[in-house]
Amino acid sequence: MLTPLAVTSKPVTFVEQGLYEVHEKVYPRSVTGVYATWRWLMVWLTQTLFYGLCWLPWNGRQAVLFDLTARKFYIFGLAFWPQDIIYLAVLLIISAYSLFLFTAVGGRLWCGYACPQTVYTEIFLWIERKIEGNRAARIKLDANAMSPRKLLLRVAKYSAWGLLALWTGFTFVGYFTPIKMLWVSVWSFSLGPWEIFWIIFYGAFTYLFAGHLREQVCKYMCPYARFQGVMFDPDTLTITYDATRGEPRGSHKKGEAYKAQGKGDCVDCSICVQVCPTGIDIRKGLQYECIGCAACIDACDQVMEKMGTPKGLIRYSTEHAIAAQWGWKEIIRHIVRPRVLVYTAILWTIIAAFIWGIATKSALRVDVIRDRAVLAREVEGGLIENVYRLHVMNASEAAHRYAITVSGLPEINMIGERIIELPPAGDRTFMVQVRVPPDSGKRGSNVIYFEVKAMADETTVIREKAAFIQP
Amino acid sequence: MQNILSVLWPSFLVAGIAEGIFFTLIDPRELYLFGEPVHFSSLATYSIGFFCFWAICAASSMATCYLLRTAQEFKGADQET
Repeated sequence: MLTPLAVTSKPVTFVEQGLYEVHEKVYPRSVTGVYATWRWLMVWLTQTLFYGLCWLPWNGRQAVLFDLTARKFYIFGLAFWPQDIIYLAVLLIISAYSLFLFTAVGGRLWCGYACPQTVYTEIFLWIERKIEGNRAARIKLDANAMSPRKLLLRVAKYSAWGLLALWTGFTFVGYFTPIKMLWVSVWSFSLGPWEIFWIIFYGAFTYLFAGHLREQVCKYMCPYARFQGVMFDPDTLTITYDATRGEPRGSHKKGEAYKAQGKGDCVDCSICVQVCPTGIDIRKGLQYECIGCAACIDACDQVMEKMGTPKGLIRYSTEHAIAAQWGWKEIIRHIVRPRVLVYTAILWTIIAAFIWGIATKSALRVDVIRDRAVLAREVEGGLIENVYRLHVMNASEAAHRYAITVSGLPEINMIGERIIELPPAGDRTFMVQVRVPPDSGKRGSNVIYFEVKAMADETTVIREKAAFIQP
Repeated sequence: MQNILSVLWPSFLVAGIAEGIFFTLIDPRELYLFGEPVHFSSLATYSIGFFCFWAICAASSMATCYLLRTAQEFKGADQET
């Protein structure tokens, strides 16, 4: 909650050696309001997903698991092998275009509400506030000399941050190693060295970024923050201070006829600066440091309410709207413009293609690789043999028996397994030898076909081309 | 400090991308090290791979940083020593 206006403090000037430059430490003041509520909703939503999804079981396995050892990704009922990389690529393109679209329409919505940097900073700040108190108390505590109380508060804060960071690291690794096994390993002290390493590595970065670097990550490290400006145009909704209404700023009492004295609505309480997580003054106009979190809107609205002036001195608005003093109707009318239409059209086309691709994804995948060690050899009975490695992948949710046949040359014959059985989402690699008489086919490379067919379901069939070398 | 970070941070990002692409296309079990098949666990291969990428990318960033110095800057540095 906002504290009364009377205790408005002077600008804080604790200069600390940041990792990137000498900077003033930002003590964001806590804020409540519509947009803060939205941000907390997003924190809950994203973090319930992140911390919870890895514990969800699905058909006897972890629902979302990127099994690096087996080189297989499970996402609920879908199993992906490295050969399915195209889906991942399309998913990344969809994410990128969504980001472009959201940014063109509503500015840095991603940064303000959903980016992990924002989300974890918000959680770490909450812990800080619970332990060390509000903004004023934290500034005072930092200024004080070390005392038993300060030490206790510091230890408590850093431990709480540390535990959360470790849990985050553990969860992260749990997406790559089955998390239930990982959990058992923790308590039986049998974690592998690399698992321990990655838990600590990820945990340490979470701690450093959310606990200490905070706004510096957005200002100096984030590539998106540097290029998001190109997606803005004069009709993009951004957090805007209405200077025509606010200026000239200056303090005045409630009910005072300040307009007669030539003053604007801004009472210069500086609360919009105090709540800003990046420590900027929004009244100076749109700046690249602004992550679009709307904390200043919430803060200013509360002040305006107390002053009895209309809300929205700082609000979501567009450059055109501020210049021409448009209302919401005009702003919404300008959302539909060529840039937005093009982004939307591209996005929906790719999404449709992606859904179609997933829906028609084959339940069976076969890779045939000629054995590199053996080109062709003569075996008993004068037959010519080529060796192949087959990789059969069952991408369905049921166990299947598959029949394997080979064709393409006269009197072609296959030695090795003709029927294999695979569990749901299972795969196997095995060798087969293919033999033909020496006069079958032409000299050099001949095309042959391997056919793998699910025995219970005649429609699941894959025909793979391979080369047979006749010496 | 700023120089160290501007070397380490972008190379970390690029190494992450390179790691993803490389190991999507190449199975760590099929790699050879000094003529011998790699015998580490998959997790170890991925991790070592990542740090190698990071080191290579950092070396490149470092060279860029080094060459970016203006004539004035390195003349100044010489005078100091």
